[in-house]
Amino acid sequence: MTKKNDILQGTLALLVLKTLEHGKRMHGYAITAHIQEVSDQLLRVEEGSLYPALHRMEQEGWVRAEWGRTEKNREARFYSLTAKGRKQLMQEEESWSRLTRGVARVIGYA
Amino acid sequence: MAWYRRWWNALRPGRLHGDVERELRFHITERMEELQKGGMSAAEAERAARLRFGSFTAEVERTRDMDISGVLDAVVRNVRYGVRSLAKTPAFTVTVMLTLALGIGANSAVFSAIYAVVLRPLPFPDGDQLVRLMHAQPRSGQTFLAPVRLEEWNRLNSTFTGITGYYSEDTSETTGEFPEKLKRAWVAPRFLQVLGVAPLIGRDFTSAEERFGGPQAVMISHRLWQRRFGGNPNVLGKTLRAPSAPFTIVGVMPASFQFPDRDVDLWAVSPPDSPYAQSRLNTWFTAIGRMKPGVVPAEALANLVTVQSNLGRQFPKPDAEITPLVTPLKEATIGGVRRSLWLLFGSVTLLLLIACTNVAALLLSRATARRHETALRFSLGASRSSVVGQLLTEVLILALGGAVLGLLIAAGASSVFRMLAKDLPRIDEMGLNGNIVLYSLLCAVVVTLICGLVPALRGARSGLAVNLAQGGRGHVRGRNRLQLLLVGVQVALAVVLLSGAGLLLRSFQELGRVSPGFDPTQVLTFHISNTWAETGGKGARQRTERLLDGLRAVPGVEAAATAISLPGVPGQYEIELQTTEGRAETEPKMLAQGRWVTRDYFSVMRIPLLAGEVCSDDPDVPSIMVNRTFANLYLNGPAAIGRHLFRPGDNPGPARVVRGIVGDARETGMERQPPAAVYGCAGSLQPGLHFLIRVRGDAGSMAGTIRRKIQELEPQRSVYGLSALTDHISDAYAESRLRMFLLGFFALTAIALTSVGLYGTLSYLVSVRQREMALRMALGAVRTQVARQFLTQGLRVSLVGLLAGLVLAAMGGRVISGMLYGVSATDPATLVAVVLIVPGVAVLASLLPAIRAARLEPMRLLREE
Repeated sequence: MTKKNDILQGTLALLVLKTLEHGKRMHGYAITAHIQEVSDQLLRVEEGSLYPALHRMEQEGWVRAEWGRTEKNREARFYSLTAKGRKQLMQEEESWSRLTRGVARVIGYA
Repeated sequence: MAWYRRWWNALRPGRLHGDVERELRFHITERMEELQKGGMSAAEAERAARLRFGSFTAEVERTRDMDISGVLDAVVRNVRYGVRSLAKTPAFTVTVMLTLALGIGANSAVFSAIYAVVLRPLPFPDGDQLVRLMHAQPRSGQTFLAPVRLEEWNRLNSTFTGITGYYSEDTSETTGEFPEKLKRAWVAPRFLQVLGVAPLIGRDFTSAEERFGGPQAVMISHRLWQRRFGGNPNVLGKTLRAPSAPFTIVGVMPASFQFPDRDVDLWAVSPPDSPYAQSRLNTWFTAIGRMKPGVVPAEALANLVTVQSNLGRQFPKPDAEITPLVTPLKEATIGGVRRSLWLLFGSVTLLLLIACTNVAALLLSRATARRHETALRFSLGASRSSVVGQLLTEVLILALGGAVLGLLIAAGASSVFRMLAKDLPRIDEMGLNGNIVLYSLLCAVVVTLICGLVPALRGARSGLAVNLAQGGRGHVRGRNRLQLLLVGVQVALAVVLLSGAGLLLRSFQELGRVSPGFDPTQVLTFHISNTWAETGGKGARQRTERLLDGLRAVPGVEAAATAISLPGVPGQYEIELQTTEGRAETEPKMLAQGRWVTRDYFSVMRIPLLAGEVCSDDPDVPSIMVNRTFANLYLNGPAAIGRHLFRPGDNPGPARVVRGIVGDARETGMERQPPAAVYGCAGSLQPGLHFLIRVRGDAGSMAGTIRRKIQELEPQRSVYGLSALTDHISDAYAESRLRMFLLGFFALTAIALTSVGLYGTLSYLVSVRQREMALRMALGAVRTQVARQFLTQGLRVSLVGLLAGLVLAAMGGRVISGMLYGVSATDPATLVAVVLIVPGVAVLASLLPAIRAARLEPMRLLREE
């Protein structure tokens, strides 16, 4: 069931944290939509992985969740970044850039 | 923060589940809306949106799992499931819980006594560093310390941070309307420092107050403070009037401070530099030492031995023959009770084992009955460990329920203990506390493992295809054998308890049957307050004489006398005697129990005069009585009369002429053969002197009259400890009565539990073998044969258990033999009783299941199959 635009294992957290970076409170659906839009439809977040990941991140203390209402007055669970999450984001960005540099070199010199 | 949220979520799984579902449904709604905008119909859009989740329910589960502690979740699920399935079988649940409550409760109760009396350190800081110090002297055995020597030991040792001492006496305090009896402890310097206790209010004695001629200061007990001064903090500086001199109150001790014993109301200093304390022969202190940290009693003893042998060179007489004795203070306080308590603890642990075995057998039956359910769970993918966990959780729920009920029993137990043995040392400290609760819970866990593990492992055997196919009808022979074995174990353990209880009961009976040589009934005893300062001299003797004459004049009083010790209450006072007429060197030393009485003692106690005449109390003609054993042992029987006896030593008393010979009496304790005894005749008031009065009619009914009479004769003194001699004697045997009652109770409980166990197991066997029985009956077996088969089975297992139990009891006989009187550990009467009781009970317990088996309706049963 691998699709081309599946998100690489382990990068989902980075994407979610990055999405929440600017301090906006977002619900799960908005997070999916945002990632898809910003990546020009290159990346598609699997619903099947998003929610377990969000809840795990909440347990880790990277994001905070609270119930609220959308503009259409629907009940949804909104996520926002915590200070701990911000630190995590920095770390993950750092390791991602190391990874991509490494991969790029390997590909470049192969 | 994460873990507690997960734990919390595990406790409210439904709520969490709902939340997750709500969140995910929102996502689907949003997605549907988007898809519908793209032109899909509502139904198509929903299908597509759900499809993107894969399986929606699985997704909810996976998300939820992130928010929950897996272990706790399993526990919670097991507990819920367990409670539900236990609620479905209330009879089983109640039986098991009550059985365990009895077992755990009785165990915790005895443990709480052991904890309070034996295990818990004394209520002083670093109480284990405290030791009691005494003299040992070859002639007089264990003796008190001389104040001079106490100070020397304190100064010369290198292993104690301090040594102090005390003695106590009763006194009358006369500030109030009536004289009130108070118990006063005279203490050596450093008393509170050594014990490590500070006054609740006020201060310790100053060094000026610890010197002779210094200010007379006193500390009062919390009880006296409350009773006499209403807890008023202005009590400091007030004066208490005791016969010798007024004392100023300088401190109030905390309520928890009950030393030397719980009756002490006053502490005052006995100064070591007072003139009367200078003799090396005047001994009166029980010394208490606090060993330096890290020092053990053996080292302290070695150190004091060195100190004392130096003193022996300096003062050959009497120090050369004195050796120090060191006993841990706790040991000295609780004495022999430890042994009785451990015996009870052992018995009650056997009882708990019986309860466990009983429950294990019940669980085995239950596991068999639930094979179908377990097999189903296996086939749905449950792992073996999860099934075992589930079964164990059920047992744990039962055990915890039992422990909680058991704690109620334990809570009530301290009052039972106090009722049965109110003089047991430290019994006041007994009660429910955190440690006892912890102990009960620990019991529950251990019980779960002991009685739950085997049934759980067996129950979780995965012969699942077979089990499912059979639908619970199968034959369960192998398991029966284990269940019968468990019943046998119960019988064996119950036999041990039963024979132990029987032996103690027989001992008590024997003790009651003893003819003591004196008559303790219709004798009233009491004390009259007075102090050591008033003893000796003519005044004290005349006062006693006048009191006794006054008492004799009371209508209803037959005779009145005094004695230093009560007859029949265990106690020893061995002395050596010599005669002025001389004896051959080769003859044995004359050792005897010395008792000090007034002449009417023999008529009060109805000890017969065998020869000669009764002595007189006249100090100018010192006289003495001897008992038959003494006369026969040392002085050729009747020839004893007219001989003169004296106590050898540095300070020999007057030679006393032997006036008469009296019958032997068990005065040193009902369980002891009468020893050789001599009775010095002299009446002199001294602290702790017993007045003994023989009355017509009931001893108790005279109490008021006597009290009024003494008030009239001696208005400045108080009467206390007024009670019948029989009560004193009975109190002295409270410890053996306590262990007899409790062991008896445990044995009866054990028998009851075992019968329930046997009954339950046989009933179960009947129910699983119904089909077989029906078949046999259909094929011509007679009903009585069927009934007999079950009866024999019950009887056979009981007899095997009985045999094993008797072997165990014989091995355990050594433990109990020291507590027996008049019977041996292999007392035939006890054994015969046990041998008769067990099969009787076994038949009774087997009868009902056997009858039920015989009443089966074969046709109906076979049709049902």
